[in-house]
Parts: sequence; C-alpha cells; structure tokens
Amino acid sequence: MANIIKLDGELRTDFGKGAARQARRGGQIPAVIYGHGTDPVRVLLPVAATTLAVRGSNALLSIAVDGEETVTLVKDIQRHALRQTVDHLDLLIVKKGEKVIVEVSVLIQGELTAGTTLSLDHPSIAVEAEAVALPEHVVANIAGLQAGTQILASELVLPEGTALAVEGDVVIATVDAAIAEAEPEAESAASAE
Amino acid sequence: MLIPRRVKYRKQHHPGRSGTASGGTTVAFGEYGIQALTPAYVTNRQIEAARIAMTRHIKRGGKVWINIYPDRPLTKKPAETRMGSGKGSPEWWVANVKPGRVLFELSGVSDEVAREAMRLAIHKLPLKARIVRREGGE
Repeated sequence: MANIIKLDGELRTDFGKGAARQARRGGQIPAVIYGHGTDPVRVLLPVAATTLAVRGSNALLSIAVDGEETVTLVKDIQRHALRQTVDHLDLLIVKKGEKVIVEVSVLIQGELTAGTTLSLDHPSIAVEAEAVALPEHVVANIAGLQAGTQILASELVLPEGTALAVEGDVVIATVDAAIAEAEPEAESAASAE
Repeated sequence: MLIPRRVKYRKQHHPGRSGTASGGTTVAFGEYGIQALTPAYVTNRQIEAARIAMTRHIKRGGKVWINIYPDRPLTKKPAETRMGSGKGSPEWWVANVKPGRVLFELSGVSDEVAREAMRLAIHKLPLKARIVRREGGE
C-alpha cells in the first residue's frame, strides 16, 4: 500500500520557460495537474519536499492548492540531464478505487546457476492496479533456472489486486550460458599476422 | 569498428558542440551506464577501445550496450599543404557527444566488477564521465 505524501502548492500565473526558470531559481518546481476531464492546473511545488517525495517510482502526492486537496499520481518527471534535479512534474488526478496502468520495476530474486548469465529485457513492466495501492515492484524468481530458460510476464509474482497490462507471453528476462571473452594474446597475435 | 555503410554526402560541416544532450540521458537497457559530463567528438576507435576494455574486464557474463554511433565524418588537410584547393579528405568518424549523454551501458555483473570495467572504459574516452545506475534499480 503506497502512502500518500502531502505537499503544499501554489497556483502558477506566469507560464513559459522564462517564468519556469525564475521559479526554479526561487526554489520551486513547476508542475501541471490534469485528468478526469478537468482543465489543467499549473502549480509550483517546494523543491526539497518534492524531490524527496518523487524518489520512489509511482509516487502518490496530495497537493493542497488554495485549501483544496487533490490526490495525484506522478505521471512523468523531467530531470536536468547532468544535475538530475527535477525540472518539471506531470501529475495525474486519481481517485480511490480507480484502476490505473503504471510501469513497475521487476525485482530479480534468487541466485543464478553456475555458468549462466541473466539478460533482463524488460527492467520494468506495465501493470494495472488500484491507484492508491500501487505495488513497488513485481518479483521474478531465477533460482535454479538453466541456460536457455525464458521468464515470461505470466510467470511474474504479482501482488494481490494487481494485473498485467501486457500480454502474458512477453519475455521479461532470459538465462543464457556465459560466453568467455577471447584471450587478448591470441587476438593480438592473429591481428599481427 | 563502427563505421557507416553508406553516406549521402562524404564531407560534412563540423557538428555543433554547444548545449547538453536532449535525449539518451538515462540508463535505458542495462543496470549501469557511463554518462558524459563534457562535450567531445568520440571516434570509432575510442568507442572500440572502451568496449574492449569493458568486455575484457568482465570476462564471462554480462552484456554491454553502445548507445552512441560515429556517424559524423571529420576531414583533415594533408600536412604542409597551402590553404585553399577545397576541403580535406575524410579522416575520422566521430559521435558528437554532449554532456548528459549515456554512452555505454552494462548489466549482468556485480557492482564492483561493473564499476571497475567502466572506470577502465572511461580512461579510453576523450571526455570527463561518471558512472550512473538505472533509476529504480535494486
């Protein structure tokens, strides 16, 4: 069960990149709240609290603007390429009992057998779950799997109340036989000839 | 060595070096990545050297992704040539890398091995870089 983090926001009246940059310099993050057929609401959020709140995936935020609280799901985060600071947030309005489709990371459990390597094709997968009870991850068990085995989406361990939003035959990971890199000496001798 | 199979025009203007990367700034395929901190022209030889440094260190297992491609030709006039008489001949193939760009990715090895492999690879590159992990990775 995901906990809802409360944040105080203020309505944004100036738009565009100039106003957004000015807000960032002033310690605020521009964000937009939308969904459920309502008009989008542009808000400013405090930088420190917001950065902490969106550290985990699929964070649920309760934004209080002018005394009115809105429960939202972080739909998209724009980050600075180098500093990794949050530049902008897309917040989707969600309601209790509503089902949403979100990307959830795949957690690998168990040890690989000797001489095999794991190739993770999908580090995250789309699942459908209740908006206020989103899972943090889904589990893929690789213990004892032999080379050539594929882990399909249908084999993932899903928490209760969560369903796959993709076909069950999507390959999540593959266990391959480990391949040794060619010896450097042999390679350089071959190229010298 | 990475090299385009066929190009429309043999000689190009020098690629722009200003600004930061507008895409490819996150680890998308593997668990770890090498992220550029300065702009640079990375040649196909440097990409190959970095790849070899990584694959030789990880020995068995693991998978390496190369996220950049040297698709821009750079030309050079021969030594002791008078100015003029047209543009020089293509000499190198480079990838125009801007700060923030994830150049290589790696997965399937332990944290210690991955960091050492990437440290060795960074030494083969003409830029400052750092090691990054996938967001939400365990």
